[in-house]
Amino acid sequence: MPAQIEARSASFRLTPDRYVPALFLAFLLVLPYLLPNPFYVHIVVMMAIYVMLGGAWNILSGYAGQLSLGHAAFFGTGAYVSTLLVNHYGISPWITLWFGGAAALALSLPIGFICFRLQGPYFTIATIGLAEALRLLVLHFREITNGAQGLTVPFKGNAPWLLQFDSKMPYYYIALALAAGVLLVTWRMERSRLGHYLVAIGQNQDAAEALGIDSTRAKARALMLSAFLMGLGGVFYAQYTYVIDPDGAFGLGLSIQVALVAIVGGVGTILGPAIGAVILEFFIQSTQILLAGQYAGLELMVYGGLLVAVILWRPRGVYSWFERMYTRILSWLPSFGRTRA
Amino acid sequence: MELSTFLQALITGILMAGIYALVATGLTLIFGVVRIVNFAHGEFVMLGMYVTFWLWKLWGLDPYVSLLITMPLLFCFGVLIQRFLFQPILRAPDLAQIFMTVGLSVILMNVALFLFTADFRSVKVPYGEWAWRLGGVTVLLPRLFAFLGALLLAGVLTLFLTKTDIGKALRAVAQDREVSMLLGINPNRMYLLAVGLGAALAGAAGGLIVPFFYVFPTVGVVFVLIAFVVVILGTLGSVQGALLASLIVGVAESLGILFAGSDLGLVVVFGILVASLIFRPSGLMGSR
Repeated sequence: MPAQIEARSASFRLTPDRYVPALFLAFLLVLPYLLPNPFYVHIVVMMAIYVMLGGAWNILSGYAGQLSLGHAAFFGTGAYVSTLLVNHYGISPWITLWFGGAAALALSLPIGFICFRLQGPYFTIATIGLAEALRLLVLHFREITNGAQGLTVPFKGNAPWLLQFDSKMPYYYIALALAAGVLLVTWRMERSRLGHYLVAIGQNQDAAEALGIDSTRAKARALMLSAFLMGLGGVFYAQYTYVIDPDGAFGLGLSIQVALVAIVGGVGTILGPAIGAVILEFFIQSTQILLAGQYAGLELMVYGGLLVAVILWRPRGVYSWFERMYTRILSWLPSFGRTRA
Repeated sequence: MELSTFLQALITGILMAGIYALVATGLTLIFGVVRIVNFAHGEFVMLGMYVTFWLWKLWGLDPYVSLLITMPLLFCFGVLIQRFLFQPILRAPDLAQIFMTVGLSVILMNVALFLFTADFRSVKVPYGEWAWRLGGVTVLLPRLFAFLGALLLAGVLTLFLTKTDIGKALRAVAQDREVSMLLGINPNRMYLLAVGLGAALAGAAGGLIVPFFYVFPTVGVVFVLIAFVVVILGTLGSVQGALLASLIVGVAESLGILFAGSDLGLVVVFGILVASLIFRPSGLMGSR
């Protein structure tokens, strides 16, 4: 390995496949300063949140093919646990972030135990049922959860220790870091033994088991990881928007949206959910701006229509298009530096 | 707690079970023949309710009479859905099949929201409050009619499936696609028929409950969730299983409302689902 690195640096050459990702990263880092007003920063933050959520969903449902429509349960659990700890005990969200993630992870254990008894559509139905039951329970236990009104995070002005800022900029960088973190975790997982197990299970569970893979164990581990990341997403979302309510945080709508992000982008790929999140959030926000929210239901119609269209004409998502376009762009770009003789 | 309160909840549950059975039968028919789990099935119920509502609102048509319009209309709708949305994904992986119907559900729900707003609407019929009082128990007649109507339709469906040639062909396709083709059955036509019938049954369920149930764009969610529990309990694809399971679910929901609180009826239903998954993963009718 060191020899290889030496060989490379001796003949360092700035090829497009090296400098384009670096430029893109630099672009992401200065992006909020290029945007004309905070509203656009908000859109980008929302994109980053959905990259995170879609990426978390992708780990279990994309790689292992276990299509969950109950992932809102983990998001909501993270959001509620963290917000309750912040409000009742004054603990910093930087700490409750981990409690929220851990609570979602803990919830994933019984949910996995129950739902992994089922396959295919039955699994999906069970996840919907459990998330829905949780939403109804959160609505029911008003004394703790404040019922349908939900919870608010008291606004304290610029308080970095409380994860509160006057400006949207810090939120952007935190969201970017979280989204990048999820993609990195996915990248690591894809290359790990677990990643290979999951892909095998996703392709054919019986065949994977015949090869000696403990499918329930592998799926449970993927679910734990996925739930933990989803919980982190919930905590950040609650801190960012200051309000969470049972329908928004535990509802089927959120679960569908999260899945949609990964499906439009391309399930079972590292960057698919990222592309999907950017496209979908762009669509949603532009319909909102164009129609100024006059027509109830229109944006979700767009969501549903996109979902049907993608499944009819692009069932593997748009990722492969992007990949092809990217390689083509790279081939047009020049290289810099010396070539080895 | 008084016995009559308990009996009241029991009867309400049994009467509602008829409707759940009708919705679940349609779901199970579509799954049995076409092999697609229709997540948009609740929206078919919702469409049936809105069609009934508007026929009453605009032309004063009685909900039971408008079944004659609702059912054929929903049948045609189901046929179109099968032809243009389900047919292309018949052999696609689970992901495509599940999210196609999820997408359809999201579209239908939001088209309803867009066109009819989120208002809760209800149909006022002269017999809306009619009731039988037997001791301390009250049987609301619209609920009884809905139950009887559902039983009648389920009976007609069973006769159709067992006694007519088309019905037998439908069952043949459900049992084995390839062999049925060898027997000269065109499975694609049977798919159209199955989704049409499933949608018509869902529409009928919607029409039957309109006299005592609010109509709103997301009303279908509850029905599809309950129908899912029913079909998982009763083994997906089995009509008798669906009938027995809907009885259990209907009664459980209504007793859950009585004992746990009005907002927890569904939680009790899901609790039963979870318990059955742990103890009887193959359903009530399935062999272990």
